Amino acid sequence: MLKQYFKNIKNASTSIFEGLAVTLSYMVRKPITIQYPDRIEKPLPEMLPPTFRGILEVDTGICTVCMACMKRCPLDTIYIESERDPETRKNYLTRFDIDVARCMVCGLCTEVCPTGAIRHSTEFDAVTSDVINLVMRYVQPGDKIPAYKVSKEEEPPGVPQNEPYCRLKKQWDAPAPLQPDEVRGAVRWKKQTSKQEGR
Amino acid sequence: MSRMAVETLDNESTIVNMGPQHPSTHGVINLRLQLKGEVIEAVDPNVGFLHRSIEKIAELTQYTGFIPYTDRIDYLGAMFGNMGYCMAVEKLLGVEVPRRAQYMRVIACELNRIINHLIACGTMSMDLGAFTPFLHGIREREKVNDMMEKICGARLNYNYMRFGGVSLDYMPGLDKEILAFLDRFERFLPEFNRLITGNEIFVQRLLHVGVIPKETAIHYGLGGPNLRASGVDFDVRRDYPYSVYPEFSFDVVTGGHYPGECGDSYARYMVRIDEMRQSARLVRQAVEGLPEGEYLAKVARNPVPPKGEVYSKVESVRGEMGFYLVSDGTDKPYRLKVRTSSFCAMSVMPEIGPGLMVADMTAFFGSLDVVAPEVDR
Repeated sequence: MLKQYFKNIKNASTSIFEGLAVTLSYMVRKPITIQYPDRIEKPLPEMLPPTFRGILEVDTGICTVCMACMKRCPLDTIYIESERDPETRKNYLTRFDIDVARCMVCGLCTEVCPTGAIRHSTEFDAVTSDVINLVMRYVQPGDKIPAYKVSKEEEPPGVPQNEPYCRLKKQWDAPAPLQPDEVRGAVRWKKQTSKQEGR
Repeated sequence: MSRMAVETLDNESTIVNMGPQHPSTHGVINLRLQLKGEVIEAVDPNVGFLHRSIEKIAELTQYTGFIPYTDRIDYLGAMFGNMGYCMAVEKLLGVEVPRRAQYMRVIACELNRIINHLIACGTMSMDLGAFTPFLHGIREREKVNDMMEKICGARLNYNYMRFGGVSLDYMPGLDKEILAFLDRFERFLPEFNRLITGNEIFVQRLLHVGVIPKETAIHYGLGGPNLRASGVDFDVRRDYPYSVYPEFSFDVVTGGHYPGECGDSYARYMVRIDEMRQSARLVRQAVEGLPEGEYLAKVARNPVPPKGEVYSKVESVRGEMGFYLVSDGTDKPYRLKVRTSSFCAMSVMPEIGPGLMVADMTAFFGSLDVVAPEVDR
Protein backbone atom coordinates (compact mmCIF):
# COMPACT_ATOMS: atom_id res chain seq x y z
CA MET A 1 0.00 0.00 0.00
CA LEU A 2 2.70 2.42 1.09
CA LYS A 3 4.88 1.13 -1.71
CA GLN A 4 2.16 1.90 -4.26
CA TYR A 5 1.76 5.38 -2.79
CA PHE A 6 5.42 6.24 -3.33
CA LYS A 7 5.39 4.57 -6.71
CA ASN A 8 2.55 6.87 -7.78
CA ILE A 9 4.49 9.93 -6.69
CA LYS A 10 7.55 8.72 -8.58
CA ASN A 11 5.47 7.98 -11.68
CA ALA A 12 3.87 11.40 -11.63
CA SER A 13 7.13 13.28 -11.27
CA THR A 14 9.03 11.28 -13.89
CA SER A 15 6.23 11.57 -16.44
CA ILE A 16 6.09 15.32 -15.92
CA PHE A 17 9.82 15.61 -16.53
CA GLU A 18 9.43 13.45 -19.60
CA GLY A 19 6.98 15.99 -21.01
CA LEU A 20 9.17 18.90 -19.94
CA ALA A 21 12.09 17.33 -21.77
CA VAL A 22 10.08 17.41 -24.99
CA THR A 23 9.19 21.05 -24.40
CA LEU A 24 12.83 21.85 -23.58
CA SER A 25 14.05 20.22 -26.78
CA TYR A 26 11.89 22.67 -28.72
CA MET A 27 13.65 25.57 -27.05
CA VAL A 28 16.84 24.86 -28.95
CA ARG A 29 15.13 24.20 -32.29
CA LYS A 30 14.35 26.81 -34.90
CA PRO A 31 11.00 28.40 -34.11
CA ILE A 32 8.25 27.71 -36.62
CA THR A 33 6.28 30.83 -35.78
CA ILE A 34 6.02 33.26 -38.67
CA GLN A 35 5.76 36.90 -37.72
CA TYR A 36 2.84 37.84 -39.91
CA PRO A 37 2.43 40.30 -41.61
CA ASP A 38 5.52 42.48 -41.31
CA ARG A 39 8.38 39.99 -41.22
CA ILE A 40 7.66 37.71 -44.14
CA GLU A 41 9.78 37.75 -47.27
CA LYS A 42 7.00 38.46 -49.72
CA PRO A 43 3.29 39.16 -49.43
CA LEU A 44 1.28 36.16 -48.36
CA PRO A 45 -0.91 35.98 -51.53
CA GLU A 46 2.26 35.29 -53.52
CA MET A 47 3.27 32.44 -51.21
CA LEU A 48 -0.03 30.59 -51.44
CA PRO A 49 -0.37 27.67 -53.86
CA PRO A 50 -2.11 28.45 -57.18
CA THR A 51 -4.95 26.11 -56.23
CA PHE A 52 -5.92 28.40 -53.35
CA ARG A 53 -9.47 29.68 -53.50
CA GLY A 54 -9.37 33.37 -52.70
CA ILE A 55 -11.56 36.30 -53.67
CA LEU A 56 -13.14 35.95 -57.09
CA GLU A 57 -11.80 38.02 -59.94
CA VAL A 58 -13.05 38.53 -63.47
CA ASP A 59 -11.35 39.19 -66.78
CA THR A 60 -14.19 40.92 -68.59
CA GLY A 61 -12.24 40.81 -71.87
CA ILE A 62 -12.78 37.06 -72.25
CA CYS A 63 -16.25 36.84 -70.71
CA THR A 64 -18.73 35.24 -73.09
CA VAL A 65 -21.75 36.50 -71.10
CA CYS A 66 -23.12 32.96 -70.89
CA MET A 67 -24.22 33.62 -67.28
CA ALA A 68 -23.36 30.06 -66.27
CA CYS A 69 -21.62 31.32 -63.13
CA MET A 70 -24.64 33.38 -62.12
CA LYS A 71 -26.94 30.38 -62.46
CA ARG A 72 -24.56 28.06 -60.67
CA CYS A 73 -23.96 30.23 -57.60
CA PRO A 74 -25.93 28.83 -54.64
CA LEU A 75 -25.90 32.19 -52.84
CA ASP A 76 -26.75 34.62 -55.67
CA THR A 77 -23.38 36.30 -55.27
CA ILE A 78 -22.86 37.17 -58.92
CA TYR A 79 -25.02 39.58 -60.86
CA ILE A 80 -24.57 39.99 -64.62
CA GLU A 81 -26.47 42.16 -67.07
CA SER A 82 -26.07 42.10 -70.81
CA GLU A 83 -27.45 44.11 -73.70
CA ARG A 84 -28.01 43.08 -77.30
CA ASP A 85 -27.48 45.64 -79.99
CA PRO A 86 -30.65 45.50 -82.16
CA GLU A 87 -28.80 46.39 -85.38
CA THR A 88 -25.58 44.40 -85.26
CA ARG A 89 -27.04 41.56 -83.13
CA LYS A 90 -23.98 41.73 -80.94
CA ASN A 91 -24.02 41.00 -77.21
CA TYR A 92 -22.53 43.45 -74.73
CA LEU A 93 -21.65 43.04 -71.08
CA THR A 94 -23.02 45.99 -69.17
CA ARG A 95 -22.76 44.87 -65.58
CA PHE A 96 -20.72 42.34 -63.66
CA ASP A 97 -20.98 42.59 -59.88
CA ILE A 98 -19.64 40.18 -57.31
CA ASP A 99 -20.67 40.58 -53.70
CA VAL A 100 -17.50 39.41 -51.92
CA ALA A 101 -19.18 39.72 -48.55
CA ARG A 102 -21.77 37.16 -49.57
CA CYS A 103 -19.41 34.80 -51.42
CA MET A 104 -18.44 31.60 -49.63
CA VAL A 105 -15.54 30.84 -52.02
CA CYS A 106 -16.85 27.42 -52.92
CA GLY A 107 -15.43 27.61 -56.45
CA LEU A 108 -18.45 26.22 -58.29
CA CYS A 109 -18.66 29.26 -60.59
CA THR A 110 -15.06 28.93 -61.78
CA GLU A 111 -15.65 25.34 -62.81
CA VAL A 112 -18.50 26.13 -65.20
CA CYS A 113 -16.79 29.09 -66.88
CA PRO A 114 -15.96 28.12 -70.49
CA THR A 115 -13.05 30.53 -70.90
CA GLY A 116 -11.68 30.98 -67.38
CA ALA A 117 -12.87 34.58 -67.23
CA ILE A 118 -13.99 34.20 -63.63
CA ARG A 119 -11.51 32.59 -61.29
CA HIS A 120 -10.05 32.76 -57.84
CA SER A 121 -7.16 35.00 -56.98
CA THR A 122 -4.93 34.25 -54.01
CA GLU A 123 -6.06 37.44 -52.29
CA PHE A 124 -8.05 36.79 -49.16
CA ASP A 125 -7.97 39.82 -46.89
CA ALA A 126 -11.04 41.75 -47.95
CA VAL A 127 -10.96 44.35 -45.21
CA THR A 128 -13.01 47.48 -45.50
CA SER A 129 -14.77 49.92 -43.26
CA ASP A 130 -18.04 49.63 -45.13
CA VAL A 131 -19.58 46.43 -46.36
CA ILE A 132 -20.86 48.16 -49.49
CA ASN A 133 -17.25 48.45 -50.74
CA LEU A 134 -17.12 44.68 -50.92
CA VAL A 135 -19.38 44.64 -53.96
CA MET A 136 -16.79 44.38 -56.72
CA ARG A 137 -17.80 46.02 -59.99
CA TYR A 138 -15.96 44.72 -62.98
CA VAL A 139 -17.86 46.84 -65.48
CA GLN A 140 -18.16 50.50 -64.67
CA PRO A 141 -21.65 51.97 -65.06
CA GLY A 142 -22.16 53.13 -68.65
CA ASP A 143 -19.44 50.89 -70.07
CA LYS A 144 -20.22 48.35 -72.75
CA ILE A 145 -17.83 45.48 -73.23
CA PRO A 146 -18.38 43.27 -76.29
CA ALA A 147 -18.91 39.63 -75.41
CA TYR A 148 -16.02 37.33 -76.17
CA LYS A 149 -16.72 34.82 -78.93
CA VAL A 150 -15.08 31.44 -78.67
CA SER A 151 -13.91 30.54 -82.16
CA LYS A 152 -13.35 26.95 -83.19
CA GLU A 153 -9.88 27.45 -84.69
CA GLU A 154 -8.45 29.31 -81.78
CA GLU A 155 -8.11 27.80 -78.30
CA PRO A 156 -9.81 29.87 -75.58
CA PRO A 157 -7.22 31.71 -73.49
CA GLY A 158 -8.15 29.61 -70.49
CA VAL A 159 -6.47 29.64 -67.16
CA PRO A 160 -2.71 29.84 -66.71
CA GLN A 161 -1.90 26.69 -64.78
CA ASN A 162 0.31 26.55 -61.73
CA GLU A 163 1.45 30.11 -61.54
CA PRO A 164 0.44 32.79 -59.09
CA TYR A 165 -2.23 34.88 -60.59
CA CYS A 166 -3.26 38.18 -59.12
CA ARG A 167 -5.21 40.14 -61.66
CA LEU A 168 -7.33 41.41 -58.83
CA LYS A 169 -4.49 43.39 -57.29
CA LYS A 170 -4.98 46.40 -59.52
CA GLN A 171 -8.70 46.52 -58.88
CA TRP A 172 -8.32 46.09 -55.19
CA ASP A 173 -6.03 49.08 -54.76
CA ALA A 174 -8.73 51.49 -55.86
CA PRO A 175 -12.18 50.05 -55.21
CA ALA A 176 -14.79 51.76 -57.30
CA PRO A 177 -17.06 53.99 -55.28
CA LEU A 178 -20.52 52.54 -55.30
CA GLN A 179 -23.79 54.32 -54.88
CA PRO A 180 -25.97 52.77 -52.18
CA ASP A 181 -28.96 52.97 -54.53
CA GLU A 182 -27.28 50.75 -57.05
CA VAL A 183 -26.56 48.13 -54.46
CA ARG A 184 -30.13 48.20 -53.38
CA GLY A 185 -31.09 47.64 -56.99
CA ALA A 186 -29.01 44.49 -57.02
CA VAL A 187 -30.63 43.30 -53.83
CA ARG A 188 -34.07 43.91 -55.27
CA TRP A 189 -33.17 41.82 -58.26
CA LYS A 190 -32.14 39.01 -55.97
CA LYS A 191 -35.50 39.09 -54.30
CA GLN A 192 -37.40 38.98 -57.54
CA THR A 193 -35.62 36.12 -59.20
CA SER A 194 -34.71 34.28 -56.02
CA LYS A 195 -34.37 30.55 -56.33
CA GLN A 196 -35.92 30.13 -52.97
CA GLU A 197 -39.50 29.44 -53.84
CA GLY A 198 -41.61 27.71 -51.27
CA ARG A 199 -42.45 24.13 -51.91
CA MET B 1 -34.19 14.86 -23.53
CA SER B 2 -35.35 15.34 -20.04
CA ARG B 3 -36.34 18.62 -18.52
CA MET B 4 -36.21 17.28 -14.97
CA ALA B 5 -33.44 19.64 -13.97
CA VAL B 6 -35.79 22.57 -13.48
CA GLU B 7 -38.90 20.82 -12.19
CA THR B 8 -37.34 18.83 -9.38
CA LEU B 9 -35.38 21.69 -7.94
CA ASP B 10 -35.10 21.33 -4.19
CA ASN B 11 -33.37 23.70 -1.88
CA GLU B 12 -30.22 21.66 -1.58
CA SER B 13 -29.21 21.49 -5.20
CA THR B 14 -28.09 24.27 -7.48
CA ILE B 15 -28.56 24.66 -11.18
CA VAL B 16 -25.53 25.88 -13.05
CA ASN B 17 -25.33 26.77 -16.71
CA MET B 18 -22.19 25.37 -18.30
CA GLY B 19 -21.88 27.18 -21.57
CA PRO B 20 -22.86 28.40 -24.13
CA GLN B 21 -19.65 30.37 -23.71
CA HIS B 22 -17.75 27.93 -21.52
CA PRO B 23 -14.23 27.37 -22.84
CA SER B 24 -14.58 23.60 -22.74
CA THR B 25 -17.82 23.52 -24.72
CA HIS B 26 -16.26 24.08 -28.13
CA GLY B 27 -18.80 25.85 -30.17
CA VAL B 28 -21.97 26.91 -28.46
CA ILE B 29 -23.49 24.17 -26.36
CA ASN B 30 -25.32 24.77 -23.13
CA LEU B 31 -25.25 22.09 -20.44
CA ARG B 32 -27.53 22.74 -17.49
CA LEU B 33 -26.11 20.94 -14.51
CA GLN B 34 -27.99 20.21 -11.32
CA LEU B 35 -25.33 20.15 -8.65
CA LYS B 36 -25.23 18.96 -5.10
CA GLY B 37 -22.00 20.40 -3.84
CA GLU B 38 -19.62 19.50 -6.58
CA VAL B 39 -21.33 16.31 -7.66
CA ILE B 40 -23.61 16.39 -10.65
CA GLU B 41 -27.11 15.08 -10.07
CA ALA B 42 -28.56 15.69 -13.48
CA VAL B 43 -27.38 16.95 -16.85
CA ASP B 44 -29.64 18.62 -19.36
CA PRO B 45 -27.93 19.30 -22.69
CA ASN B 46 -29.57 22.26 -24.33
CA VAL B 47 -28.85 22.10 -28.03
CA GLY B 48 -29.98 24.24 -30.94
CA PHE B 49 -27.79 27.33 -30.71
CA LEU B 50 -26.21 26.57 -34.07
CA HIS B 51 -29.22 25.34 -35.96
CA ARG B 52 -28.97 26.54 -39.55
CA SER B 53 -31.65 24.31 -41.09
CA ILE B 54 -29.22 22.71 -43.49
CA GLU B 55 -31.77 20.05 -44.38
CA LYS B 56 -34.24 22.72 -45.49
CA ILE B 57 -31.59 24.55 -47.48
CA ALA B 58 -30.98 21.31 -49.37
CA GLU B 59 -34.58 21.33 -50.56
CA LEU B 60 -34.15 24.83 -51.99
CA THR B 61 -30.77 24.38 -53.66
CA GLN B 62 -29.80 22.47 -56.75
CA TYR B 63 -27.91 19.23 -56.25
CA THR B 64 -24.48 20.64 -57.10
CA GLY B 65 -25.10 23.83 -55.19
CA PHE B 66 -25.57 21.93 -51.95
CA ILE B 67 -22.06 20.42 -51.90
CA PRO B 68 -20.48 23.49 -50.20
CA TYR B 69 -23.18 23.34 -47.53
CA THR B 70 -22.17 19.80 -46.57
CA ASP B 71 -18.84 21.26 -45.44
CA ARG B 72 -20.69 23.23 -42.84
CA ILE B 73 -22.38 20.25 -41.20
CA ASP B 74 -19.18 19.24 -39.48
CA TYR B 75 -16.51 21.80 -40.08
CA LEU B 76 -13.67 19.71 -38.66
CA GLY B 77 -14.58 16.74 -40.83
CA ALA B 78 -15.80 18.56 -43.92
CA MET B 79 -14.50 15.91 -46.29
CA PHE B 80 -16.90 13.32 -44.90
CA GLY B 81 -19.94 15.49 -45.47
CA ASN B 82 -18.80 15.92 -49.08
CA MET B 83 -18.17 12.21 -49.41
CA GLY B 84 -21.50 11.06 -47.97
CA TYR B 85 -23.58 13.50 -49.97
CA CYS B 86 -21.75 12.86 -53.24
CA MET B 87 -22.05 9.10 -52.72
CA ALA B 88 -25.80 9.46 -52.19
CA VAL B 89 -26.30 11.48 -55.37
CA GLU B 90 -23.99 9.20 -57.35
CA LYS B 91 -26.07 6.24 -56.25
CA LEU B 92 -29.20 7.99 -57.51
CA LEU B 93 -27.57 8.99 -60.79
CA GLY B 94 -25.83 5.66 -61.26
CA VAL B 95 -22.47 7.30 -61.86
CA GLU B 96 -19.31 5.23 -61.78
CA VAL B 97 -16.45 7.07 -60.06
CA PRO B 98 -13.02 6.59 -61.67
CA ARG B 99 -10.48 4.65 -59.64
CA ARG B 100 -8.05 7.53 -59.38
CA ALA B 101 -10.80 9.73 -57.96
CA GLN B 102 -11.69 7.03 -55.44
CA TYR B 103 -8.09 6.89 -54.25
CA MET B 104 -7.89 10.67 -54.07
CA ARG B 105 -11.06 10.71 -52.00
CA VAL B 106 -9.68 8.17 -49.57
CA ILE B 107 -6.44 10.14 -49.19
CA ALA B 108 -8.35 13.37 -48.54
CA CYS B 109 -10.72 11.70 -46.05
CA GLU B 110 -7.98 10.05 -44.04
CA LEU B 111 -5.90 13.24 -43.93
CA ASN B 112 -9.04 14.93 -42.65
CA ARG B 113 -9.35 12.27 -39.97
CA ILE B 114 -5.78 12.97 -38.85
CA ILE B 115 -6.57 16.70 -38.68
CA ASN B 116 -9.67 16.12 -36.60
CA HIS B 117 -8.10 13.70 -34.14
CA LEU B 118 -5.15 16.04 -33.62
CA ILE B 119 -7.59 18.79 -32.72
CA ALA B 120 -9.68 16.44 -30.58
CA CYS B 121 -6.71 15.21 -28.54
CA GLY B 122 -5.26 18.71 -28.33
CA THR B 123 -8.42 20.42 -27.14
CA MET B 124 -9.11 17.60 -24.72
CA SER B 125 -5.76 18.14 -23.03
CA MET B 126 -6.46 21.87 -23.08
CA ASP B 127 -9.75 21.28 -21.26
CA LEU B 128 -7.78 19.44 -18.61
CA GLY B 129 -5.37 22.33 -18.20
CA ALA B 130 -2.47 21.28 -20.42
CA PHE B 131 -1.99 23.94 -23.05
CA THR B 132 1.28 22.83 -24.67
CA PRO B 133 0.00 19.59 -26.30
CA PHE B 134 -2.72 21.63 -27.97
CA LEU B 135 -0.10 23.81 -29.64
CA HIS B 136 1.85 20.76 -30.74
CA GLY B 137 -1.30 19.30 -32.26
CA ILE B 138 -2.16 22.57 -33.98
CA ARG B 139 1.36 22.83 -35.38
CA GLU B 140 1.14 19.40 -36.93
CA ARG B 141 -2.35 20.15 -38.21
CA GLU B 142 -1.01 23.21 -39.93
CA LYS B 143 1.22 20.99 -42.07
CA VAL B 144 -1.80 18.98 -43.21
CA ASN B 145 -3.77 22.16 -43.79
CA ASP B 146 -1.03 23.44 -46.10
CA MET B 147 -1.32 20.22 -48.07
CA MET B 148 -5.10 20.48 -48.11
CA GLU B 149 -4.67 23.92 -49.63
CA LYS B 150 -2.79 22.30 -52.49
CA ILE B 151 -5.14 19.34 -52.75
CA CYS B 152 -8.43 21.20 -52.81
CA GLY B 153 -7.79 24.93 -52.42
CA ALA B 154 -9.11 25.55 -48.93
CA ARG B 155 -8.04 24.91 -45.39
CA LEU B 156 -11.30 24.21 -43.61
CA ASN B 157 -14.36 24.14 -45.85
CA TYR B 158 -12.88 21.99 -48.56
CA ASN B 159 -15.73 21.58 -51.08
CA TYR B 160 -13.47 19.03 -52.79
CA MET B 161 -15.76 16.33 -54.11
CA ARG B 162 -18.05 16.47 -57.08
CA PHE B 163 -20.52 13.98 -58.47
CA GLY B 164 -18.28 11.48 -60.19
CA GLY B 165 -14.94 12.43 -58.73
CA VAL B 166 -13.07 15.35 -57.23
CA SER B 167 -12.70 18.97 -58.26
CA LEU B 168 -8.94 19.19 -58.80
CA ASP B 169 -6.14 16.93 -59.94
CA TYR B 170 -2.95 16.78 -57.92
CA MET B 171 -0.29 19.40 -58.44
CA PRO B 172 2.99 17.86 -59.59
CA GLY B 173 4.99 16.52 -56.67
CA LEU B 174 2.12 16.54 -54.21
CA ASP B 175 2.18 12.79 -53.60
CA LYS B 176 5.83 13.02 -52.53
CA GLU B 177 4.91 15.83 -50.17
CA ILE B 178 2.20 13.71 -48.58
CA LEU B 179 4.62 10.83 -48.09
CA ALA B 180 7.16 13.19 -46.54
CA PHE B 181 4.50 14.38 -44.13
CA LEU B 182 3.63 10.81 -43.17
CA ASP B 183 7.28 10.10 -42.33
CA ARG B 184 7.30 13.19 -40.15
CA PHE B 185 3.98 12.28 -38.59
CA GLU B 186 5.26 8.86 -37.54
CA ARG B 187 7.98 10.59 -35.54
CA PHE B 188 5.52 13.11 -34.15
CA LEU B 189 3.09 10.66 -32.55
CA PRO B 190 5.59 9.06 -30.08
CA GLU B 191 6.70 12.56 -29.15
CA PHE B 192 3.09 13.61 -28.53
CA ASN B 193 2.63 10.50 -26.39
CA ARG B 194 5.72 11.36 -24.36
CA LEU B 195 4.42 14.88 -23.95
CA ILE B 196 0.92 14.15 -22.68
CA THR B 197 -0.40 10.62 -23.11
CA GLY B 198 2.03 9.12 -20.63
CA ASN B 199 1.62 11.97 -18.18
CA GLU B 200 0.43 10.48 -14.89
CA ILE B 201 -1.72 13.47 -13.92
CA PHE B 202 -3.45 13.45 -17.28
CA VAL B 203 -4.03 9.70 -17.12
CA GLN B 204 -5.44 9.80 -13.60
CA ARG B 205 -7.93 12.49 -14.60
CA LEU B 206 -9.30 10.24 -17.33
CA LEU B 207 -9.22 6.72 -15.94
CA HIS B 208 -12.64 5.38 -14.87
CA VAL B 209 -14.28 8.73 -15.70
CA GLY B 210 -17.53 8.72 -17.66
CA VAL B 211 -17.65 5.02 -18.37
CA ILE B 212 -20.10 4.22 -21.17
CA PRO B 213 -21.02 0.51 -21.02
CA LYS B 214 -21.24 -1.45 -24.23
CA GLU B 215 -25.06 -1.76 -24.14
CA THR B 216 -25.59 1.95 -23.46
CA ALA B 217 -23.30 2.88 -26.33
CA ILE B 218 -25.29 0.69 -28.71
CA HIS B 219 -28.68 1.84 -27.40
CA TYR B 220 -27.83 5.50 -27.80
CA GLY B 221 -26.46 4.95 -31.28
CA LEU B 222 -22.98 6.29 -30.58
CA GLY B 223 -20.52 6.09 -33.40
CA GLY B 224 -16.89 6.19 -34.29
CA PRO B 225 -14.23 6.31 -31.59
CA ASN B 226 -16.83 6.71 -28.84
CA LEU B 227 -18.50 3.46 -29.80
CA ARG B 228 -15.30 1.54 -30.40
CA ALA B 229 -13.82 2.65 -27.08
CA SER B 230 -16.77 0.92 -25.41
CA GLY B 231 -15.62 -2.33 -26.91
CA VAL B 232 -17.96 -2.53 -29.90
CA ASP B 233 -16.05 -3.70 -32.94
CA PHE B 234 -17.85 -1.68 -35.58
CA ASP B 235 -16.51 0.44 -38.40
CA VAL B 236 -18.51 1.41 -41.47
CA ARG B 237 -15.34 1.35 -43.55
CA ARG B 238 -14.94 -2.35 -42.86
CA ASP B 239 -18.46 -3.62 -42.18
CA TYR B 240 -20.32 -1.74 -44.90
CA PRO B 241 -17.47 -1.14 -47.32
CA TYR B 242 -17.69 1.86 -49.61
CA SER B 243 -15.30 3.47 -52.08
CA VAL B 244 -12.00 1.54 -52.31
CA TYR B 245 -11.55 0.82 -48.60
CA PRO B 246 -11.72 -2.98 -49.07
CA GLU B 247 -8.48 -2.77 -51.07
CA PHE B 248 -6.48 -1.44 -48.14
CA SER B 249 -5.44 -3.14 -44.95
CA PHE B 250 -6.15 -1.36 -41.71
CA ASP B 251 -7.12 -2.32 -38.18
CA VAL B 252 -10.27 -1.24 -36.42
CA VAL B 253 -9.10 0.11 -33.07
CA THR B 254 -11.27 -0.85 -30.12
CA GLY B 255 -11.01 -0.08 -26.42
CA GLY B 256 -10.49 -2.71 -23.78
CA HIS B 257 -6.76 -3.25 -23.80
CA TYR B 258 -5.84 0.17 -22.46
CA PRO B 259 -5.24 0.95 -18.78
CA GLY B 260 -8.45 1.65 -16.93
CA GLU B 261 -11.64 0.07 -18.14
CA CYS B 262 -13.46 -0.38 -21.39
CA GLY B 263 -15.41 2.75 -22.35
CA ASP B 264 -13.86 5.31 -20.03
CA SER B 265 -12.52 8.67 -21.16
CA TYR B 266 -8.96 7.40 -21.43
CA ALA B 267 -10.02 4.61 -23.77
CA ARG B 268 -11.76 7.14 -26.02
CA TYR B 269 -8.64 9.29 -26.05
CA MET B 270 -6.38 6.35 -26.85
CA VAL B 271 -8.64 5.06 -29.62
CA ARG B 272 -8.22 8.43 -31.33
CA ILE B 273 -4.44 8.32 -30.96
CA ASP B 274 -4.30 4.84 -32.45
CA GLU B 275 -6.75 5.72 -35.21
CA MET B 276 -4.38 8.43 -36.38
CA ARG B 277 -1.78 5.69 -36.94
CA GLN B 278 -4.26 3.66 -38.95
CA SER B 279 -5.21 6.70 -41.01
CA ALA B 280 -1.56 7.40 -41.76
CA ARG B 281 -1.23 3.77 -42.82
CA LEU B 282 -4.24 4.11 -45.14
CA VAL B 283 -2.93 7.32 -46.70
CA ARG B 284 0.45 5.71 -47.34
CA GLN B 285 -1.12 2.72 -49.07
CA ALA B 286 -3.37 4.96 -51.16
CA VAL B 287 -0.60 7.35 -52.24
CA GLU B 288 1.74 4.51 -53.14
CA GLY B 289 -0.94 2.73 -55.16
CA LEU B 290 -2.43 5.86 -56.75
CA PRO B 291 -3.53 4.84 -60.27
CA GLU B 292 -3.35 7.05 -63.33
CA GLY B 293 -6.46 8.13 -65.14
CA GLU B 294 -9.40 10.46 -64.94
CA TYR B 295 -10.14 12.32 -61.74
CA LEU B 296 -13.67 13.34 -62.68
CA ALA B 297 -16.27 11.31 -64.55
CA LYS B 298 -18.49 13.02 -67.09
CA VAL B 299 -21.62 14.13 -65.28
CA ALA B 300 -24.18 16.68 -66.40
CA ARG B 301 -23.53 20.19 -65.15
CA ASN B 302 -26.90 20.34 -63.46
CA PRO B 303 -27.81 16.70 -62.83
CA VAL B 304 -31.44 15.69 -62.52
CA PRO B 305 -31.64 12.26 -60.86
CA PRO B 306 -34.60 9.95 -61.45
CA LYS B 307 -37.29 9.51 -58.83
CA GLY B 308 -36.21 7.42 -55.91
CA GLU B 309 -34.67 7.41 -52.48
CA VAL B 310 -31.27 6.41 -51.29
CA TYR B 311 -29.28 6.16 -48.07
CA SER B 312 -25.53 6.38 -48.02
CA LYS B 313 -23.30 6.29 -45.00
CA VAL B 314 -19.66 6.97 -44.36
CA GLU B 315 -17.43 6.52 -41.35
CA SER B 316 -17.00 10.15 -40.39
CA VAL B 317 -14.52 11.27 -37.77
CA ARG B 318 -17.30 11.18 -35.22
CA GLY B 319 -18.93 7.98 -36.37
CA GLU B 320 -21.52 7.02 -38.88
CA MET B 321 -22.68 9.94 -41.01
CA GLY B 322 -25.69 9.12 -43.10
CA PHE B 323 -27.45 10.96 -45.90
CA TYR B 324 -31.00 9.94 -46.69
CA LEU B 325 -31.98 11.55 -49.97
CA VAL B 326 -35.36 11.52 -51.67
CA SER B 327 -35.62 12.70 -55.24
CA ASP B 328 -38.88 13.61 -56.95
CA GLY B 329 -37.36 13.87 -60.40
CA THR B 330 -36.60 17.60 -60.32
CA ASP B 331 -33.26 19.38 -60.06
CA LYS B 332 -33.63 19.88 -56.31
CA PRO B 333 -33.83 17.19 -53.61
CA TYR B 334 -37.29 16.53 -52.22
CA ARG B 335 -35.92 15.72 -48.79
CA LEU B 336 -32.50 15.30 -47.29
CA LYS B 337 -31.97 13.89 -43.82
CA VAL B 338 -28.53 14.01 -42.30
CA ARG B 339 -27.68 11.58 -39.55
CA THR B 340 -24.76 12.68 -37.42
CA SER B 341 -23.10 11.06 -34.46
CA SER B 342 -22.44 14.19 -32.42
CA PHE B 343 -26.14 14.39 -31.63
CA CYS B 344 -26.07 10.84 -30.24
CA ALA B 345 -23.00 11.69 -28.20
CA MET B 346 -24.87 14.63 -26.70
CA SER B 347 -27.91 12.53 -25.91
CA VAL B 348 -25.86 10.07 -23.86
CA MET B 349 -24.87 12.78 -21.39
CA PRO B 350 -27.98 12.68 -19.14
CA GLU B 351 -27.38 8.96 -18.77
CA ILE B 352 -23.67 9.02 -17.92
CA GLY B 353 -23.32 12.51 -16.43
CA PRO B 354 -24.97 12.04 -12.98
CA GLY B 355 -22.40 11.12 -10.37
CA LEU B 356 -19.50 12.89 -12.01
CA MET B 357 -17.76 15.89 -10.52
CA VAL B 358 -17.83 19.18 -12.46
CA ALA B 359 -14.11 18.88 -13.23
CA ASP B 360 -14.67 15.36 -14.54
CA MET B 361 -17.49 16.65 -16.67
CA THR B 362 -15.04 18.64 -18.81
CA ALA B 363 -12.90 15.53 -19.22
CA PHE B 364 -15.92 13.45 -20.17
CA PHE B 365 -17.27 16.08 -22.51
CA GLY B 366 -13.87 16.58 -24.14
CA SER B 367 -13.46 12.86 -24.66
CA LEU B 368 -16.78 12.65 -26.53
CA ASP B 369 -15.37 15.07 -29.13
CA VAL B 370 -18.68 16.77 -29.87
CA VAL B 371 -18.73 19.46 -32.53
CA ALA B 372 -21.59 21.86 -32.01
CA PRO B 373 -22.61 22.53 -35.65
CA GLU B 374 -22.89 18.82 -36.22
CA VAL B 375 -25.28 18.46 -33.30
CA ASP B 376 -27.70 21.07 -34.59
CA ARG B 377 -27.10 21.10 -38.35
